[in-house]
Amino acid sequence: MMRRGFSRRDFLKTAGAFTAMTAIGEFPAEVFADERKMVRFPEKTDLIVLTQRPVQLETPLHYFKELITPNKALFVRWHISQLPTSVDLNLWRLRVGGNTEKELALSMDDLKQFEKVSYTAVIQCSGNGRSFFEPWVAGGQWKNGAMGNVTFAGARLRDILNKAGIKAGSVDVSFDGLDRAPLPSVPDFVKSLPVDKALEDDILVAYEMNGEYMPLLNGFPARLVVPGWYATYWVKGLTDITVLPKQFEGFWVKTAYRIPDTACGCIPPGSAPKKTIPINRMTTRSLIIDPSVQAQLKAKKPVEIMGIAFSGGYSIREVIVSVDKGKTWKEARLGQDKGRYSWIQWFFPWKPDTPGKYTLMARATNSIGESQPFESLWNPAGYLWNKIEKVEVMVT
Amino acid sequence: MRRTIIFSMILASLILAAAFAVAGPQAPVHSISLPETRVELAPGDGKVKVETFCNICHSLDYITMQPKFSRAQWTGTVNKMVKVFGAPINEEDSKMIIDYLVAQYGAGN
Repeated sequence: MMRRGFSRRDFLKTAGAFTAMTAIGEFPAEVFADERKMVRFPEKTDLIVLTQRPVQLETPLHYFKELITPNKALFVRWHISQLPTSVDLNLWRLRVGGNTEKELALSMDDLKQFEKVSYTAVIQCSGNGRSFFEPWVAGGQWKNGAMGNVTFAGARLRDILNKAGIKAGSVDVSFDGLDRAPLPSVPDFVKSLPVDKALEDDILVAYEMNGEYMPLLNGFPARLVVPGWYATYWVKGLTDITVLPKQFEGFWVKTAYRIPDTACGCIPPGSAPKKTIPINRMTTRSLIIDPSVQAQLKAKKPVEIMGIAFSGGYSIREVIVSVDKGKTWKEARLGQDKGRYSWIQWFFPWKPDTPGKYTLMARATNSIGESQPFESLWNPAGYLWNKIEKVEVMVT
Repeated sequence: MRRTIIFSMILASLILAAAFAVAGPQAPVHSISLPETRVELAPGDGKVKVETFCNICHSLDYITMQPKFSRAQWTGTVNKMVKVFGAPINEEDSKMIIDYLVAQYGAGN
């Protein structure tokens, strides 16, 4: 099996070829994106299968030409193998309790009584881009498709917590969903937020994605939405919200999903961090979506380079583009602004003068000056990937 | 017999799918059935152990997806499964599993 023997360039070629094929719908039943199989799971379209149980599915890049990622194309990532495959809304309740004045057991109808809040937000797996790390790190070998831009709607977490009444001295709030572990020794997937974070304006218990109920694999009937933060906190199939008078000690916060406690969240490649903290806000990123490496470009023929950019809850101030491998940079035009949690599309007109190989690069900066590194920043779990991407194209 | 069961399952899922399509959003019962196809591992000593134990908690594409790790990395991964997640694998079997992973899915060191 030629999994890792080929270069980044080969990868881009293969991925590009694949994307092109998908776009024109010309692929056979069994197709491999550089040996990554495509399968259609329930309520989803053909997605790249990383793993089947628990299921992890990656979105092909061509979907990111659109401002909004369709529900059926959004990536899927579960942690423990007993996923919910059936939910009866007559029985499902969202229980809220712990260090609260009262306990709630909200039905879907109850949840819909709260003010409905909606916005568009990037949802991105902590390990998106992990397969690009050098040295390699263990975990889901995602390329860039473990993300999407989705319009969520639901009730404010704060409104729900206030209805239950948070008691003084509360520290953390934990979130559990319908998924269960295959063995008693495997920690249940439970996440937590500090209580101050949980009470912020924009955190939702969402019951809609893009105006529809969400696919079971994306969290039906309701999931937490923590915009600006990595999706590990966005607990799917939410059933339990528990206010805690002390720090949450569960495995998936205390041991897993941690980053080095350094300014960049990075350490020298291959080393071990001295101290870690829970992963939190997303780093700033931009991607070139079009042209792909497979594009047939002609000298003196104008094209428009298109991509996306986003950051962890701060608007994108600027995207600069280079068509000469980083020697010179010019500002791209930004598209429709759908708010600080959404990605923004960017456009860059280009007319290559002469035939040859060109390296396209894009670099985003957000409103608080956070940007992207030219060299990768390494951490042992393969999180926070935001190195400036390079796309090589041939002009004839 | 087996065929009948499979046929009934297919029929049941078709009926469910039809129910879905008609009922539209927020039907009270929302169900799916997850496909899983067999992952064929490379032949080698220890393959059966890997298929038996690793498969308890996860499909075997969790192995085939990984880059070609060093012995140290595969050892770390198997130890994590045993010590952190409580995989019921004794020391002898662990060693066999690590040897297999290094030989078939490793960097050869």
